Amino acid sequence: MKLSIVQADAIQELGNIGAAHAATTLSQMLGSTIEMSVPAIRMVDLSQLGQYMGEESAAMVAFELQGDIPHGGYILFYITRESAVRMTNTMLGLTEINRPLSEMDESALLEVGNIMVSAFLDATAELLGFIMLPSPPSLTIDMAHAAMQSLIAQMQEETDEVLLFSTELVCEEYKVDSDIIMMPERSTLIRIIELLEHMMEPVTQPIS
Amino acid sequence: MPDHQPQNGQTAMIGIGEYRVGSFPMMTIGLGSCIGLTMYDPNLRLGAMVHIMLPESAGRMDRPGKYVDTAVPLLVQELVALGCKNRSIIAKIAGGASMFEYFGTNLNIGERNSEKVRILLKEHKIALAAEDVGGKCGRSVTFLPANDGSVTIRRADGTTSSL
Repeated sequence: MKLSIVQADAIQELGNIGAAHAATTLSQMLGSTIEMSVPAIRMVDLSQLGQYMGEESAAMVAFELQGDIPHGGYILFYITRESAVRMTNTMLGLTEINRPLSEMDESALLEVGNIMVSAFLDATAELLGFIMLPSPPSLTIDMAHAAMQSLIAQMQEETDEVLLFSTELVCEEYKVDSDIIMMPERSTLIRIIELLEHMMEPVTQPIS
Repeated sequence: MPDHQPQNGQTAMIGIGEYRVGSFPMMTIGLGSCIGLTMYDPNLRLGAMVHIMLPESAGRMDRPGKYVDTAVPLLVQELVALGCKNRSIIAKIAGGASMFEYFGTNLNIGERNSEKVRILLKEHKIALAAEDVGGKCGRSVTFLPANDGSVTIRRADGTTSSL
């Protein structure tokens, strides 16, 4: 499946709006400024997934997309292990960087992921008039590729390529680098594109 | 046809659904519920590796390395074509983990993958010499046919082990 430039732009704009809301919540939680990247949209062949998601250790809070489409794909809050420690240190008032992640860290990560992804989906749903709700969250702290691969394997619609739609959120002050990554099922992606295209159509005024 | 071979004995990186056959070093990174299956013939010192994602192909033929039920016969066929005998081929598997607890409860693909590989190997009379499957952790696998078919596994915490 290939996206046209207009379609990619529209999805990017949707990502901007979602990520801006997520960034605001992260900014409030950390009490600091958050910089946001332009959303990246990549159609990735499964055999090439390793070029985008490698062996690096990361904390990932994953959610299934639910709502108007029951199994819409997945969305996750991704944060490198080092950034995760710095972030929870900031939230929990700790300073040690070289430490194992505790249950406290895990609940903090789940909470942050939950709040940010909910903010992202609320904002995009409002724009689209299409309900996307996150499932309960699930956390793993492991190799990024292993986690992503597992989510792709359990997608409902069998596919050889996947749309990775990611926005980077960075907090300079605490050196926290995170991403929100959305991986919609093909049918969900088509539905989102239809809704966006519909919104972009010129409004025709009835002639009176 | 296996995916293209690396030059000058470099390590071949095997992505999801890909496979290689030869005596050069091979590697798959970040196996979650996926399976890294290696087959090695000590007589001919030849091996093959595949990165499998799902148990059943349901008739799809375009990416045979992606599914257990097509990948196992494929590797056997490739090795036999090079002169290997089924009874001398040694198989090893790694992966088949369940990375996410909440999603894993209703749909354990990792476990289904491992189980299906064992069944298929048995059907093809290939000995399963060793396995490191299941659990909740990701694994990267290095396969060295030239080094007696050694298989090394690395986990996210940096620990390594051999099969």
